[in-house]
Amino acid sequence: MTKYLFLYWGPSAASKTYEPSPEEFQEMFAQWAAWKQKFKDQVADLGDGLKPSGKFVRKEGVVTDGPLPELKEIVTGYSIIQAKSMDEAVKVARECPIYMMPGATTEIRELMGY
Amino acid sequence: MPHLHDARSHHGNPRVDGLLSPAAALRPLASNAGGLYAFPVTSHDEPKAEEFVDGFFRHEAGRLVATLVRRFGAGRLEAIEDAVQAALQAALVSWPRRGIPDNPSAWLTRAAQNQVIDQLRHDGAVTRAHDSGDPAFEEGEVAPPAVAFVGEIEDSELRMLFVCCDDELPPKTQLVLSLKLLCGFSTQEIAARLFLSDANVQKILGRGRTRLRELWDNPEGAALPEPSEGQLAARLGAVQRVIYLLFNEGYSSLREREVIRRDLCHEALRLGELLVSHAVGAEAESWALLALLHFHMARLDARTDESGALLSLDAQDRSRWNTEQIGRGFACLLRAGTAKVTLRYHAEAAVLAEHCIAPSYEQTDWAAIVELYAALEQIEPSPWHTLNRAIALAEWQGPEAGLALLEALAPPAWLSSHYLWDATFGELYRRAQKFEHAERHLRRALARVPTEAEKRIYERRLELCLGGTPKPA
Repeated sequence: MTKYLFLYWGPSAASKTYEPSPEEFQEMFAQWAAWKQKFKDQVADLGDGLKPSGKFVRKEGVVTDGPLPELKEIVTGYSIIQAKSMDEAVKVARECPIYMMPGATTEIRELMGY
Repeated sequence: MPHLHDARSHHGNPRVDGLLSPAAALRPLASNAGGLYAFPVTSHDEPKAEEFVDGFFRHEAGRLVATLVRRFGAGRLEAIEDAVQAALQAALVSWPRRGIPDNPSAWLTRAAQNQVIDQLRHDGAVTRAHDSGDPAFEEGEVAPPAVAFVGEIEDSELRMLFVCCDDELPPKTQLVLSLKLLCGFSTQEIAARLFLSDANVQKILGRGRTRLRELWDNPEGAALPEPSEGQLAARLGAVQRVIYLLFNEGYSSLREREVIRRDLCHEALRLGELLVSHAVGAEAESWALLALLHFHMARLDARTDESGALLSLDAQDRSRWNTEQIGRGFACLLRAGTAKVTLRYHAEAAVLAEHCIAPSYEQTDWAAIVELYAALEQIEPSPWHTLNRAIALAEWQGPEAGLALLEALAPPAWLSSHYLWDATFGELYRRAQKFEHAERHLRRALARVPTEAEKRIYERRLELCLGGTPKPA
């Protein structure tokens, strides 16, 4: 089994491009729970959400703010998936409820396994 | 009111039991000890969505706004609404991963509360508030309300209703605000219920929020203005209307799987009982409203068949009506006073009372019901009442009488394009054996009907119509 990092891209909650209603939250919660259950052998770690703002630290201690929370495309969260192949990882991603958030994209990166 | 939640009230914590299925309530969970990011260590059970009753998140959103407004003041509504949104978002990420916390309501309250404090701190409001000794910002569990209402309304949700129903706000704004802030309805759900466009609801909400902020914001962080008892009394009608609509949303939901959303009906009933238990609310029309809710509730079980399909009144098994609750309805109606029916909820409750005491659909006192709908048209003119009067008239004097009344009516565009308008015409024409007319109207109704359950009723009627049968479907 190989491990894959799922990086969820999309508008951050702070950008307020999409504010789900409580009913939609309930539906999304149901879908995430169902997804985790359906792919319980693949979802090694459901991961976490990421706060919208952070820091970039560069050489010689140069620190800048970023990414900008207003951006339409930032990494909003991650999961760790284990799968036999990239094809299987893609299949898991296709059914991921992240797409209930408009503008969401999943970036799949295979871990080196060092 | 344990009787309202009897199906779920047989274990420990009443709030959790009311919200989760019995299976979930019995599931062993380690206790949740503290801060926002302290989670219970769950068993290996996966969190299952069906553990939450329909509308759980929506109700929680309303409860959270009410609780936080009580603590931080309606002037901080914007920060509060953002915080509630953030708390729901946090739950969405956390719960599937960590499991549903022991007490989801407490978890959400803590999350939202910390979020408000963070936001206000960020805005610099907290320092000022601390200087003035605002207890809302003290750490720990939800403190007693910083603001005492005149008449001391205990329940934060009932209190929130009175805040939303401020007489400085137009009635429509009060309604929309209550449905949004207190009941957690989305813009679309409000729009559908009130026959407004989404954009219109958004505009009303925007103006309402601004007005509430103007009314309640106090830059000094000192005591917020308090509505007087006179003002509370003036808001009563609007409060009753909101409870009525909330019930209506539960009783005839737009979504198929939620044809009868008991939790919403229970909620309206709870608020109705809360209202009459408070001095400011315990007047005749509140009691009449409560009677109305009881009469509807009493027939809830009988409204659907085994497959969950909605049954029309004539097809219901009356032995399944809850006689105890009908009794409660009559007790409330007595408290409301049995004098001349001149108020809206009185008249509506009286219609339901007629149905509740009728031994069968055929033996219903339709003449009395026709008279009551005519009274309703006087009290609060609405073509809905005329539509209902036409239906009752058709039962009393035959379909032609009902049709004559409807054909004489010049309906506003929103009504003539409403599925119930066509459904009524379709059924009356069918009974009058004007099958071509009936078919045309039933097809128009079918094209717009929002729930599967009602769709099945009209399809059944259409079949009878195509088979040339005028008998009741």
